[in-house]
Amino acid sequence: MFSPWILSLQLILFPLFWRGLYTTETNPQLVLTDPVTTIFKSAVLKGDSLVEKVEILKPIDLELACTWTGNPNKLPNITGYWRKDGSEITNSRLTVQLENEQYNLKRVFRITGDTLGNYSCIFSDTDEAKIDFNVAAPEMDDKKDKPVVAYVGDSVAVACKTKLPPNTWLWYKANGTEQELINATTDPLRYKISVDGNTTKLTVMNLTEEDSGVYVCSAIYNIKASVSRVEVRVITFMEPLKPFVAIVAEVIILVLLILFYERWSSRKSSNSPTENGVHAEQTHKLTREGNNGMDENTTTRQRKI
Amino acid sequence: MSPAPASILRDTPPDGGWGWAVVFGAFISIGFSYAFPKALTVFFKDIQLIFGASYSQIAWISSIMLAAMYAGGPISSILVNRYGSRPVVIAGGVMCGVGMVTASFGNTITHLYICVGVIGGFGLSFNLQPSVTIIGKYFQVKRPLANGLAMAGSPVFLCTLAPINQFLFNQFGWRGSFFILGALLLNCCVAEQLTQTNGIPKKPTTDRSEAQVNGHNTQLEKGCLDNFNKFLDLSLFKHRGFLIYIIGNAVMFFGFFAPVVFLAPYALSHGFDEFSSAFLLSIMGFVDMFARPLTGLMANTKWIRPRIQYFFSFAIIYNGICHLLCPLASGYGGLAAYSVFFGIAFGMVCALLFETLMDLVGPQRFSSAVGLATIIECCPVLLGPPIGGALVDTFGDYKYLYLMCGAVMVSAGLFLFVMNIYNYRMLERERRQEEGQCFLKDAFIVIRF
Repeated sequence: MFSPWILSLQLILFPLFWRGLYTTETNPQLVLTDPVTTIFKSAVLKGDSLVEKVEILKPIDLELACTWTGNPNKLPNITGYWRKDGSEITNSRLTVQLENEQYNLKRVFRITGDTLGNYSCIFSDTDEAKIDFNVAAPEMDDKKDKPVVAYVGDSVAVACKTKLPPNTWLWYKANGTEQELINATTDPLRYKISVDGNTTKLTVMNLTEEDSGVYVCSAIYNIKASVSRVEVRVITFMEPLKPFVAIVAEVIILVLLILFYERWSSRKSSNSPTENGVHAEQTHKLTREGNNGMDENTTTRQRKI
Repeated sequence: MSPAPASILRDTPPDGGWGWAVVFGAFISIGFSYAFPKALTVFFKDIQLIFGASYSQIAWISSIMLAAMYAGGPISSILVNRYGSRPVVIAGGVMCGVGMVTASFGNTITHLYICVGVIGGFGLSFNLQPSVTIIGKYFQVKRPLANGLAMAGSPVFLCTLAPINQFLFNQFGWRGSFFILGALLLNCCVAEQLTQTNGIPKKPTTDRSEAQVNGHNTQLEKGCLDNFNKFLDLSLFKHRGFLIYIIGNAVMFFGFFAPVVFLAPYALSHGFDEFSSAFLLSIMGFVDMFARPLTGLMANTKWIRPRIQYFFSFAIIYNGICHLLCPLASGYGGLAAYSVFFGIAFGMVCALLFETLMDLVGPQRFSSAVGLATIIECCPVLLGPPIGGALVDTFGDYKYLYLMCGAVMVSAGLFLFVMNIYNYRMLERERRQEEGQCFLKDAFIVIRF
């Protein structure tokens, strides 16, 4: 119930005057050059479990190193093994010895497009302590779950952003289960695709109602493509016109009501005999003087220049 | 001798009845004026994308709107003095509405700057000024409470406009939302009808009665200032209380809004997620909503009302102390506690802002006074957050921002406190001098009648 307006409240008072104030943490750059290199990723576990994200751009050898500080009764030897996507990797069980008050476990994996997934190292003591590594292609930055609304004849812009720039960006229009590639060069009056490092923007111009639907942006990496979907809804100007007319009607009605009330009450007071009215005012004011004497003395004191 | 004979001709505010409808109208006007520029930021991301503009360029829309709203103060005062308040407020409401509707058809950023920023901003200021002024005409005894209730419009509207804007955006996109918001802003006209409908008997004014109301000094000044009053009451710059108010407030506003703007980023820098950081603002807004009318109620008591300027100074100093202690807050609980205290402090200052000015210059001159005050306060209000941001950038730590804001607020509060001690003493002395003269003049009036 709270999330949309809390998010918008955050957007409201978030740098109104000062821009771009907070910086997001950047992942350590995985700089990759040919031939197949080995990437080292390590993590230290102090509690029961930990989740780490590993973003891979191209096929590499990935060495995952896990360190566990152990539990209070530190046994000299425990069992350690690896899992991929929940199922244990065969022949991965090892005996891990306590060195410098820590347990260490490491293994090299060959990562390709098919072998992406969730790799976990598990230290098996009386309980299991594990570190999960989510090895995947870079994900899109912002999730779009609400459709973007635009109008017939207008243009709409949709953007996708990742943390690490891909080789290329591709845009598709989804038609049911099919995906149709959008080619901006063949249709420059309708589509415009701009790419700026790790951001891409698709502008669709001269919208018609057929342009409604799901648009898919695809970030092509060597290892796999990362996709994000956004829905565009094209509506006519009639739609906001209905609430607009309703509100204007409400305003006019209320204004007229208040005007009539004013006319009616002024006619009512002018109908009564004027002298009585003045007399009533005078006595009214005199009694008010009596009651407010104390306050008025103090306030007139302050109102003097 | 009682001053009753002369004051029969004086206009007494009803302090109730139709006055509460006026408070409600002012509530709506104040709500739209202060909350609308902030609530617009919901649309910025999409507008930024479609126009290919940077966040800076987009944020200027809100800044221009706020600047126009503050700068429009004296213009509004002049127009009200010239044409009366009714045409001005209706024009204000219509300007806002038309501005937003034309903005919905815009295709460039400049179009938005003009339609939303300039036209919308001026419309809001034409809206805001008379609504705030009219409270002084309807309330005397319960005026602080009425002011507090009316000022509560700002947080209430912010909390409601935010989800409404989000909903409109999801349903209709930014164009449709602007279109519908234009219609919503026309409701300001309804609010104005409420405030401008005359619920009090017409006052027969004579120069003598005015003098009785404002103290005998004004009787002399009325002759000279009759011409000035048609435009803008610049003699206010000779008014001791007004000068104290202006200087104190101008300093105060440098540190007033920056902590609000940076609360969420400060929390984010501590490692809390976006949702929790935004929730701190919700806490603050929620507490603010209740702090304002409660402050009005407190200020209305017979202990505080005569010393309301001290109460205002106390509120500002309390604000400053909150900021000075903020860097000591650790963990989410500490920040949440800070948000609560800050919400109370913020609400207290806002509720008393106009009440203290009314108390110093009186309802008659309030219209001009508030116009001059808003344009002078315009600079610190708009410069405060960017300066704060520059501090954060230079030192890389939010702590210095809070220390600066705290120091600024505490010194402004102390300045106001000390100067008001002086002002009250001078007023007391003048009152005693004039009481002697008044007594003699009253005697002459009675004899004449």
